[in-house]
Amino acid sequence: MVLVLALGDLHIPHRAPDLPAKFKSMLVPGKIQHVICTGNLSIKEVHDYLKTLCPDLHITRGEYDEDTRYPETKTLTIGQFKLGLCHGHQVVPWGDLDSLAMLQRQLDVDILVTGHTHQFTAYKHEGGVVINPGSATGAFSNITYDANPSFVLMDIDGLRVVVYVYELIDGEVKVDKIDFKKTTATTHSAH
Amino acid sequence: MVKKKVPDWLNSSLWSTTPSASSSSSSTTTTTTDTNTFDHHSPTTASPPIESPIDPPLPPAAIRDKQQQQPPRHHHNHNHPQKPEVKDKLSKSSIVDDDDNNNIIINNNYSNDNIINNKIIITNDIRNVDVNESSAEDISKQALLLTELSKKVINMGELRRIASQGIPDGAGIRSTVWKLLLGYLAPDRSLWSSELAKKRSQYKHFKEELLMNPSEIARRLEKTTVLNNDNGKSESRCVLSRSEITHDEHPLSLGKSSVWNQFFQDSEIIEQIDRDVKRTHPDLHFFSGDSSLAKSNQEALRNILTVFAKLNPGIRYVQGMNEILAPLFYIFKNDPDEEMAACAEADTFFCFVELLSGFRDHFCQQLDNSVVGIRSTITRLSQLLKEHDEELWRHLEITTTVNPQFYAFRWITLLLTQEFNFADSLHIWDTLLSDPEGPQETLLRVCCAMLILIRRRLLAGDFTSILKLLQNYPPTNISHLLYVANKLRGQPSR
Repeated sequence: MVLVLALGDLHIPHRAPDLPAKFKSMLVPGKIQHVICTGNLSIKEVHDYLKTLCPDLHITRGEYDEDTRYPETKTLTIGQFKLGLCHGHQVVPWGDLDSLAMLQRQLDVDILVTGHTHQFTAYKHEGGVVINPGSATGAFSNITYDANPSFVLMDIDGLRVVVYVYELIDGEVKVDKIDFKKTTATTHSAH
Repeated sequence: MVKKKVPDWLNSSLWSTTPSASSSSSSTTTTTTDTNTFDHHSPTTASPPIESPIDPPLPPAAIRDKQQQQPPRHHHNHNHPQKPEVKDKLSKSSIVDDDDNNNIIINNNYSNDNIINNKIIITNDIRNVDVNESSAEDISKQALLLTELSKKVINMGELRRIASQGIPDGAGIRSTVWKLLLGYLAPDRSLWSSELAKKRSQYKHFKEELLMNPSEIARRLEKTTVLNNDNGKSESRCVLSRSEITHDEHPLSLGKSSVWNQFFQDSEIIEQIDRDVKRTHPDLHFFSGDSSLAKSNQEALRNILTVFAKLNPGIRYVQGMNEILAPLFYIFKNDPDEEMAACAEADTFFCFVELLSGFRDHFCQQLDNSVVGIRSTITRLSQLLKEHDEELWRHLEITTTVNPQFYAFRWITLLLTQEFNFADSLHIWDTLLSDPEGPQETLLRVCCAMLILIRRRLLAGDFTSILKLLQNYPPTNISHLLYVANKLRGQPSR
């Protein structure tokens, strides 16, 4: 039962001052085992804050990140699943499923997490899942108007992953979940 | 006002332990029972420091024995002049002791075994004669216990009497006797199989209910069909459907009723339990080390303590419960009867609950200062000491201001498991569990006896040395300790 937090596109401090209070009250240390962040934090303070939630933090570089050392893409294995991480501004057209599928095949992962569109989506295709956690602060985006703050929490349990989607709609936190089961087990994961 | 004197028999140097252990000529260790039972059991009980007094007048029987003390323990069968008597008395009635020198009167209440035991204890060389280890005693006790246990309806009073002398280690007797003493098994044998089955399935039920993690619970609860991906090629692309969550059941939920929230709150306790289980008896291979046996035993301990903590939200888990649990599990798991050993975890759980029920209040911090709490029990111990040995009491309480909490706390809450080695503590538990007065009272008497036995050293010591002594209680002859504890029963002697 591994909990993985996926979020991104916070754009702090340029477009948003902070995470919504309701999100912050829920994100307490000690519950989450991994944090994956699509990028555009944008400053070190956000990095430190995420680090307090969980020491295992993975970030990929977004175009507004001030720390240039983050990688463009990242892959990691958690339990039976291989996860891929990328900000998404590199994949053109932005948010296009076909192109993202191409990236997924390139990285050879089961779950691809990307951002940039500030819009939550979850697609399934050919044995893989593409998840966009949206923007955790609901920051302005020139692609999406009126984005709601959102993030994603994945509960990886064996061959099954339950994706909990947290959205802030009209000041209230709304939680949905998505179930996804993998067909075959990965051959030994050394993560 | 007459100052209550310590009775002579108690004051005799026979009973006191002294620092110098080297005086013994052919002393051998006595209190360890079968050392092969415990793998890496460290021989800490090498020659208990009971010196053989040369000065005080010895009873004729004792002198006789002293001369024959030379050969080591396993020869004593031949040389012991009282051995023939032993065999005779096996079937006979009460015996009255003939030597009055040390004012040791055999109580007529005792069964034959006890009388025989006491006769042998009278000798100077207590260290040479470990009653529980001598084969004749063992066999006779074992025989008695086995006959008692094989009856259709077991006479609990009789069983208690025999068990209070100590239960031999072989033949899994201890496992069954403890279960009977703790009320887990009914005295009527015919009820055993049905009762056991019921209890064991109950425990299994508890485990299933309480030890599940929230993911599994969520899986069981959900009735909506899961979007399955059975053939990877089907419906090559689609938006994944979202489903609503009911009752705030998501991992970050802060709701009181949320399964997840409870899980995270419990995780602290589970961590604590885990840490303590790993530290239980590091010297015993049964509990610690990397073997799969040790791991599975630790797992069992963990499960029992977790289930207990979840079923008892008032008291949860407190450090030290693992120490009380360990001997129970050890004995039940090592039962030669395979069926019993396989269900040791369930049996231990219920016996643990039963044993702890008398001592629960010691673990509850809020009750510390109340009438039932640990402080009041310690005060009772202090009173007991005052009644039986005022001089020592005065020395401890007033002269050196050793607060009994400094040593008695651990003695009482952990039922003396930490003061003696594992084998000895099992023997003490035999007495604690079998005494008709109940474990609480017996425990206090044993603690009092522990103090009285080393009174010489305590009286001679100051605060630091006394505390050092009491917090690392010196190895001693357990049967002798229990004998003294028994004598403290009832009215204080004059």
